[in-house]
Amino acid sequence: MGFDVGGDERARRRVSSPAQRWLSGLLAGTVAVAAVTGVLALVDPHVPAPHLLMLYLLVVMPVAIVWGIGLAVVIACVSALAYAYMFVSPLHSFQITNSWSLVALVVFLVTAVVVGQLAARLRLATQRSARLSEEQAALRRVATLVARSVPASEVFEAVTREVGLLCGADLARMEQFEEDGTATGVAAWSRGPAQLAVGTRLTLDGPSIARAVRYGDGPVRVESFAGAKGTIAREALEVGIRSSVGCPIVVGGHLWGVIAASRKSDELFPDDTESQLASFTELIVTAIENADSRAQLDASRARVVAAADEARRRLERDLHDGAQQRLISLALELRMAQDTVPEDLPELRADLGQVVDALSSALEELRQISRGLHPAILSEGGLGPGLRALVRRSAVPVDLRVDTGSRYPPPVEVAAYYVVSEAVTNTTRHAGASHVEVTVEQHDGTLLLCVRDDGVGGADPGRGSGLTGLRDRVEALGGAIGITSPAGDGTVIEVSLPVEQSAGRPS
Amino acid sequence: MVQCLIVDDNPHFTAAARRLLERQGITVAGVASTGEEALRRADELRPDVMLVDIDLGGESGLELAGRLHHQEDLGTRIILISSHAEEDYRDLIAASPAVGFLPKDTLSARAIHDMLASSAGEAPG
Repeated sequence: MGFDVGGDERARRRVSSPAQRWLSGLLAGTVAVAAVTGVLALVDPHVPAPHLLMLYLLVVMPVAIVWGIGLAVVIACVSALAYAYMFVSPLHSFQITNSWSLVALVVFLVTAVVVGQLAARLRLATQRSARLSEEQAALRRVATLVARSVPASEVFEAVTREVGLLCGADLARMEQFEEDGTATGVAAWSRGPAQLAVGTRLTLDGPSIARAVRYGDGPVRVESFAGAKGTIAREALEVGIRSSVGCPIVVGGHLWGVIAASRKSDELFPDDTESQLASFTELIVTAIENADSRAQLDASRARVVAAADEARRRLERDLHDGAQQRLISLALELRMAQDTVPEDLPELRADLGQVVDALSSALEELRQISRGLHPAILSEGGLGPGLRALVRRSAVPVDLRVDTGSRYPPPVEVAAYYVVSEAVTNTTRHAGASHVEVTVEQHDGTLLLCVRDDGVGGADPGRGSGLTGLRDRVEALGGAIGITSPAGDGTVIEVSLPVEQSAGRPS
Repeated sequence: MVQCLIVDDNPHFTAAARRLLERQGITVAGVASTGEEALRRADELRPDVMLVDIDLGGESGLELAGRLHHQEDLGTRIILISSHAEEDYRDLIAASPAVGFLPKDTLSARAIHDMLASSAGEAPG
């Protein structure tokens, strides 16, 4: 049938129990039989009733299509009885004395059963095709999410919802197994208001799909939770679950978790439910693997940046503790020597003075190198004092506003410092700006930096400038950088850095 | 004579500074290489002035200056020193109880006397 059913419509579809459905079918069929009988009574004087007996097939066929062959046979019998009572003499009795009438009724019943069966098969084929196309559409939707590399949690939620709707479930949940033998709900869906727990650890201490999958092999079913004890069974009974079906999620040869669908009605899941679940687990696995490799890539970038920073910091320390202190001591010694030179040796005094001056210049150069390697004030005083020291040395006037006095993890402070440092350097070297504005503020666990200049603009972050290095540094910390630099209209660099480091867990 | 205590974790520097200052007329009563040692020796020696390195290895000289300032009846004034330039630390120096800052390579008795003189009249750090 190829149509795409919206979630709400699908959610409404399974509202009545099988018995209710059957009864409503019986009622509708009986009313229709009565209507056809009325029509026959009207035309009976003009057209012989036996010729019209087949009109009852108009009722039997739709009943077979909508309610199945069982009810169609019942309605065919009701039709035969109505016909016998109304039109076969003796009238108004179920007695049949005329053998031709009996033959006509038998032929009608046989035809009704055959037509009913054909109609019921048509109905099944249509249903299967609709289910298949629904399944394909659901898989496509999830596959699109996976291909877009959205966060794994988003894929989990989509899969849980699609699985729930597709399997005609009332509730569905995806659970991840933990190393301590428990499981954590990572996503859940429900047709009604009652939800299964997400984010909490579930002990596998009683009958449950999670436990059966964990200690079993392949897909599993729990056909009744009646009288069951244990964390998940208790939860199932509380929300009214009668039966569940689940499928393992295996990532890289390891049992990662389980996806489970549950029903509140007595009607059990169809036999092919497990294979439907299995077709989704492949997509789940891809999403988890994608998230894993992304997390590994992020972690590896962060390690590269952290290792480089650590090397620079160590170099700065070595310089500070070694060469710088030695040269300073030497400068002091030379000044002492200068003081002891007798006044009648002015040339020697002057020579020594020159050496002292040269040493001072060398020390100043060392200070600059050391500052470039790792600004000592950043470790000592944090971002505010660090940035103020930075802008004091800028050749272009910088208007700095720091709206946070907090200390942040060293990688965040270093990244923020280098963003401003690189941006101000670029402005000085290339932008021809007369004024730079730098703002630093914190919003909801994110440090926001903005560097804005009134220069020539046209900065191209892709042209191997220092901006590429900044992007690496910022993204390695899970942050984002945006550069707006229209030609002739200044440059704005905006950076957001998460203050808390993310754990890098795929869920 | 002005009594001085040098707090620095680099022995080359403390040795050179001690000789220079003593030759220029300042008594170096002692040296300390850690914050704890500095607090103890300050209490013991009651120097007129302490030269405190901002970067004390793993410790912060600025923090030590704050602790010394809160030590009652010490009467010692603090001059921060560093191998870095003053402008690198300007905000932190201004916020500290120290009477001033001297880059290590410009250290001299005269610089110390000038700094003490210019801070005279103010409450001792």
